Amino acid sequence: MSDSTVVKTPKTPMRKLLGLDKANTQKWIFLFIAIVPPFGGYLLFTLFPNILSVYYAMLNWDGFTDATFVGLSNFVTAFQDKYVWRALTHNLIFMITVPFFVIIISLLLAYLITNKTYKENKFLKVLFFFPNVLSTVVVALLWAFIYDGSYGLLNGILKFVGIDIGNFYWLGNESTALLSIIPAWVWGGVGLYVIIFANAMLGIPKSLYEAAILEGAGHMTRLFKITMPLVTPIIRVSALFLVVGTMKGFEIILIMTNGGPFGSTDVIGLYMFNLAFGIEYRNYGYASAVGMILFVILVTAKLLIDKFVPNKGYEY
Amino acid sequence: MKEKRTLMDIVWRVVLYAWSLTILFPLIWVIYESLKSNPEFFKDIWALPAELRWQNYSKAWNQYSFGQSLLNTLYYVGGSLVLGLFFTTINAYALTRMQFKGRKLIWGLIMLSLFLPGINALVPQYVIMRELSLTNSLTGLILLSSLGESVFYLMLLGGFMSSLPMELEESATMDGATLFQKFWRVIVPLSTPGIVTVGVFKFLGFYNNFLAPFIYLSDPKKYPIAVQMYSANKQMEFTADWVTLFAGVTIAMVPSIIIYILFQKLLMEGATMGAVKG
Repeated sequence: MSDSTVVKTPKTPMRKLLGLDKANTQKWIFLFIAIVPPFGGYLLFTLFPNILSVYYAMLNWDGFTDATFVGLSNFVTAFQDKYVWRALTHNLIFMITVPFFVIIISLLLAYLITNKTYKENKFLKVLFFFPNVLSTVVVALLWAFIYDGSYGLLNGILKFVGIDIGNFYWLGNESTALLSIIPAWVWGGVGLYVIIFANAMLGIPKSLYEAAILEGAGHMTRLFKITMPLVTPIIRVSALFLVVGTMKGFEIILIMTNGGPFGSTDVIGLYMFNLAFGIEYRNYGYASAVGMILFVILVTAKLLIDKFVPNKGYEY
Repeated sequence: MKEKRTLMDIVWRVVLYAWSLTILFPLIWVIYESLKSNPEFFKDIWALPAELRWQNYSKAWNQYSFGQSLLNTLYYVGGSLVLGLFFTTINAYALTRMQFKGRKLIWGLIMLSLFLPGINALVPQYVIMRELSLTNSLTGLILLSSLGESVFYLMLLGGFMSSLPMELEESATMDGATLFQKFWRVIVPLSTPGIVTVGVFKFLGFYNNFLAPFIYLSDPKKYPIAVQMYSANKQMEFTADWVTLFAGVTIAMVPSIIIYILFQKLLMEGATMGAVKG
């Protein structure tokens, strides 16, 4: 043992010196592989297009012929465009209803599966999350089948219980299409929040409830004095996510109605999408201007919610 | 602990079952109808089929060229998964456990993405992809999907990696391991649970991705399953071949169901993490 130490000791400085140099080159090669492709992709496909969209918003361009610079006139057009306002109104409806129902339903379900000791709760939790792993296409098609006028599930059930409304096309009617999309959107989103709220509720120490029971607090008192205040910060974050997500989401609408009938379900993201990639008419410049408006709305909404909704956490 | 059961418990259970029913009923209904013939379905959506028509499934498979779109999906999802997972992991390692110049700046720029809704970038992104001749190509789509930064994955993997003790790496260096060996033999094996979580999320994200393939692929022969189902539904508006479409949708759900059965616990944990941190 002492032999080997004696032999190795004089060599160490040399090796270390060499190793350091080699290690340095190695470090740079490693960093190059680790940083350049993902970060470069991020710069090229995410950051750069975001900056570019400001410039595109000031062009009149169909994407193929030469672009002309038109300054802010796209924005003037957008503010006078009744379709933009109609779409924004629809956005507002979705932005309020979808997060509201998602949060209410998932809070209730989460409370029940965490605070009740039904033996099927574990299975229910797994089942509730399932719609979240389905693709938007599958969710949208399922609901399109439900709403079909001639063979849809909804009319079938209504007929079954004695309400025959004939071949009413829920998604084909201007007065019902918008409202019909809401349940589909809520259905696809609830599961995730059940899990989030349930985990938050499970994180509340049992001792708090035990103390409350000793003090004679009933079910409702415990719910509103302990559970709700302690999960409020999570609800706040979830609401923010949902509002922003609903504001910019349009995939489910694109698949279910593509904004129709007669634009009665159009939202701003879908309007922009169809301006850019639609079949009849393409204007990249104007689409980008509409996209910029949406960008400003989303960032403002985010900042406002962050600022004005109190962010108080509880220590326990 | 046994709870006292009251009348309210019945109400609460009904609430839980009602929501379960909204999930299960449409799914079971689609599968049920997928085994009928079209005339049977048109006549009465409730009536039992005379025989179970499993041939609807082979018809759906052929009519919607599932073979081709499955190959496209495998190539797109597989390629993006392998490439994306490699870069996400090595990137998370470099950004959380290595010191170098410009690291703070890179983090700052990545954090900026939390403020970018992304939707206004769709058009310029398309133009950039077109300039690079990456449109209408599954390989182009793989590059777009796998090269990039995601705060969620960085946090998830970075959090995992920073909990590993530094001594592990130091002792590996002492043993003469190069940086690459250290990464492959020490960091990757120890971060496997985190990597698997990211992998499952990426898989579902790519498999379910609709918008990007829909924008970038113009040739229907290149459609992955999600876009293929969308166009199958469009075709159905003319052919009125409902039962085949039902069979197709059922087939399209199979991979999601398998992944969910295998990884539900991990998915539910990861989803919570994303929401709390992201």
